[in-house]
Amino acid sequence: MSKVTVDQIIEIIEKAHLVKDANALAHDKPLSEQGVDSLDFSGVLFNIEEVLDIEIPDEDIDRLQTINNIVIYINNK
Amino acid sequence: MIAITHIGTYLPENRVSNLELTEKFEIDENFIREKIGVVQRSLKSPDEKASDLCIKAFEDLLNKADFSKDEVECCVVVTQNPDMNIPHTSAIVHGALNLPETCACFDISLGCSGYVYGLSIVTAFMQANSLKKALLFTADPYSDIIDPNDKNTVLIFGDGATVTLLQDNYPGLVSLGFDFGSKGASYKNLTNEGVLYMNGRAVFNFAAATVPKSINKVLEKLQLDKEEISRWYLHQGSKYIVDTIAMRLKLKPERVVFGMYDYGNTVSSSIPMLLSEDLEGIAVGEKVGVSGFGVGLSWASAIFKKK
Repeated sequence: MSKVTVDQIIEIIEKAHLVKDANALAHDKPLSEQGVDSLDFSGVLFNIEEVLDIEIPDEDIDRLQTINNIVIYINNK
Repeated sequence: MIAITHIGTYLPENRVSNLELTEKFEIDENFIREKIGVVQRSLKSPDEKASDLCIKAFEDLLNKADFSKDEVECCVVVTQNPDMNIPHTSAIVHGALNLPETCACFDISLGCSGYVYGLSIVTAFMQANSLKKALLFTADPYSDIIDPNDKNTVLIFGDGATVTLLQDNYPGLVSLGFDFGSKGASYKNLTNEGVLYMNGRAVFNFAAATVPKSINKVLEKLQLDKEEISRWYLHQGSKYIVDTIAMRLKLKPERVVFGMYDYGNTVSSSIPMLLSEDLEGIAVGEKVGVSGFGVGLSWASAIFKKK
């Protein structure tokens, strides 16, 4: 799999209508501090898993608080 | 032709507010209303059993439908919280209602997919045995198995029961086709080992991925377009999951029925609970879709037509 980018993750979040304005999300700030609650976060992960055809185990979730964290995590998988 | 003709329901009067739990679980009112979709939960008394809830639902059915208990030939209870392991709860209901000895009784052990499975099973059983009238009960009192400190479950589930009267050669909702499935390898995500355990993320992923496919499959099998379905009754797992499924299927929001704000997720009763409110208003020729999903992990979807 080619390296995933921040823009791809934002595009996935935007297409899934998970937040009001995905482009306004800060990349280095926890999503939970930007209006993404626990259910929305499950939705974010579900759409990432589906679009990129990957599996994110529950035990890895604590490492995925920001968009930058998510990108680094996926690219290191 | 076997049809759903009437649905009786019962919700315990006692309510517990989720708004009182915002501080405990560090959530806000918006999350409760817009994501969970349960503002208050119906709660039975500790000594009420599944059969007691069924009997109350039957009392409601008697107010809606003109029939005699002596005509009932089949009595089925969908539950995974039976009164006891032996006997089956349908036998207890049969005895309490004084149904005829010629009436067949059995339970169906399924959770949130149970009502849709039950409709197919009971319809087929009636057809195979030339039965005219059957009762399909749903009652799964989860309050008996909920851990009040578990945020994943305590905010969601409420107690309730329904009973659907199925009759041969009566006007009502007639099934056009079903789709069923299971992911038994994932059963550990929703279990009862003394208390209810639910891996919310895993169950959400399952429902979001599987239910739209199941609904599309049954539509395809019947060569129907989703635009031909006037109302959708999806299992009320949470508002978030209902909204997610509706969005992924691109269903018109006004056609997706939602209504558990005042009592919670009543498991196998969630679909008939909503259907009971609309049953009389569904016009002849109108088609409605149903889909139940959950414990198992299991799912069942179907399309019905008012005839």
